[in-house]
Amino acid sequence: MDLFLQLLFTGVGIGAVYALVALGFVLIFRATSVVNFAQGDFSMVAAYLMVVFAVDLGWPYWVAFLISIAGMAVLGAVFNLTVYYPLRHRTFLPVLISTIGASIFLANSVLALYGPQPQVLPGWLDTPGFQVGPVYLDSQYLIIICVTLALVAFQYWLFERTLIGKKLQATSQDKEMATLLGIPVAGMIMLTFVYSAVLGGIAGILVAPILFVSIQMGSTIALKAFAATIIGGFGDVAGAILGGFAIGIIETFGAAYISVPFKDAFAFLVVILFLIVRPQGIFGERVAEKA
Amino acid sequence: MRFNRRILNAGLAASLAAPMISRVARAADTLKIGMVLPVTGPAAAVGGYALAGAKIALDRVNKSGGVLGKQLELVTEDDQTTNPGAVLAFSKLAAQPDIIAFLGPVRSTQNHAIANDVLKTAKPFCFGGTDPALTKMGNPWFIRFRPNDTYSARVIASYGVETLGKKNWGLVHSTDAFGASGGKLLAAAIDKLGAKVAIDQGYPNQSPDFTPVVLAIKSSGADVIGSYFTYENDQAIFARQAKQLGLTIPWVGSPTTVAAATLKLAGPAVWGTYAIADYATDSSPEAKEFAKLYSAVSSAPPDLQSAWPYDAIGVLSIAINKVGSTDPGKIRDAMLSIKGYKGAEGEYTFDQFGDGLHGYNIVRNENGTIVFDKHIEFTD
Repeated sequence: MDLFLQLLFTGVGIGAVYALVALGFVLIFRATSVVNFAQGDFSMVAAYLMVVFAVDLGWPYWVAFLISIAGMAVLGAVFNLTVYYPLRHRTFLPVLISTIGASIFLANSVLALYGPQPQVLPGWLDTPGFQVGPVYLDSQYLIIICVTLALVAFQYWLFERTLIGKKLQATSQDKEMATLLGIPVAGMIMLTFVYSAVLGGIAGILVAPILFVSIQMGSTIALKAFAATIIGGFGDVAGAILGGFAIGIIETFGAAYISVPFKDAFAFLVVILFLIVRPQGIFGERVAEKA
Repeated sequence: MRFNRRILNAGLAASLAAPMISRVARAADTLKIGMVLPVTGPAAAVGGYALAGAKIALDRVNKSGGVLGKQLELVTEDDQTTNPGAVLAFSKLAAQPDIIAFLGPVRSTQNHAIANDVLKTAKPFCFGGTDPALTKMGNPWFIRFRPNDTYSARVIASYGVETLGKKNWGLVHSTDAFGASGGKLLAAAIDKLGAKVAIDQGYPNQSPDFTPVVLAIKSSGADVIGSYFTYENDQAIFARQAKQLGLTIPWVGSPTTVAAATLKLAGPAVWGTYAIADYATDSSPEAKEFAKLYSAVSSAPPDLQSAWPYDAIGVLSIAINKVGSTDPGKIRDAMLSIKGYKGAEGEYTFDQFGDGLHGYNIVRNENGTIVFDKHIEFTD
């Protein structure tokens, strides 16, 4: 039972990170019908910004965090204007390739500016963790879980309880109809990119004290987050969150009870099963309704 | 007007041709060595260390008159820390006929990937991968500048069983060529010494979490950890989680345990660990001299990543000067005939397979300082 609880905590913690990045995937997919392959790089860029502000410049952690997130908002806007907007009337393939190109550009830009050495970003709390009975609760995982739940609640409020959220939903469901209703579609898509970059950035900053800050950290997370979106149903917010937690828990328990070398395979085995049995994902009905 | 145009054209042609003529002249004055190293990807940091080590050696050789009266020149290509990247990088270098020898990757899996191309190129290929099979595949051009894993496994097992008195091992290793081979050899060496493997945990590279591995070792009853980690960040994550989850048994690891990047990332989580190290600053006067040279160009501590390319260029230059030509076969034969070359990593005496080093240093991490314990050399 002790082992089970420890694994559950770890699985939920790592799953929360996947869920945050998956959320970014889904939001952009809903708004543009394109998978943004640079979503993981948003996490990497934000983590490096934190290293610059909090470690190199020695600024207070919260100040560094807020400035890094503001930087990610700007990056999201620039990303929209340079990677998506010029190709918005093309089919999905050129846009998709454009995001892959942007991913390579971001990774190599950070490499050229900061160098290849992995960096250490201290955790948010001085205490590394707490022993609660037989379970060790890593303080960073606790923060990740809390922030993810808070962002999920914020997202629910934003989309369901605010006018701007309704406009974002309308844009994602039918751009032409949204335009006819007077909704500034281009502005809503811009807002979506900004919000997705911020979400990816928060995920990167949260996970950096665990994974360390490296050029590859984005791709390590993004691959699993992508799998999470498939399980949850591409285009569904609740599905992305559920898929993220599912991937985290499946790979942790699979590694512990079946085989560590096949840890990554368990997550992708579930993805393959979903693609065969239920390609629309867990919450596929809503997508069907939307269509 | 015509005269002026003719002069103008001639001047233009001369100015365009000048850099080319200069390059040809410079190329004729230098001997080129190709180097495949990671500039991008997960191992980009260690690629920087390797390049620094190679450049120190190059500088040293060139300042002392060069090779065959010419300056050595390094031509590098990025392997992107991937097997396809390594193949592409080597093929770019192999296409340059004036390159006389190569420095290959430090990772065994990448050396396996380019082995066939090396065979076709038929020029000396110095490398750092430690999978024993690499020099036993019948490829005469593979010349190794690190002790292979038959030695590393025996030293880890010997130190854990005979010095620390531990009999019940928990093994952790990556599942790539380096880790799988190291884990297998370590299990065999432990068995040979009459100890047993309580648990053997392979893991995929770039794992974000090691909780299941740590908990499995903890519940296995193992009284010592033996490890072969490929990447420093994986080792650092494992070390930190082991400490958090109360896995405090002694740990004897592969050289990654004391790699500069691991020390930086893991910090106190790897204090108190033991490791085998092909490079240890206090192991010899040559190692100390290398540390001094390295500290002048890098803020990172010297480690195997920088030491083996330094030694490889030293051995190459001696071999080329000895044969007095750039004939690949003669250079190879001269390299394999070298006995007792004192390098930063140790004393090189090449066997017929191309293995130059036959033992390891044991070091321990005392509160972040790497302390040399002893050197174990094998004659069989």
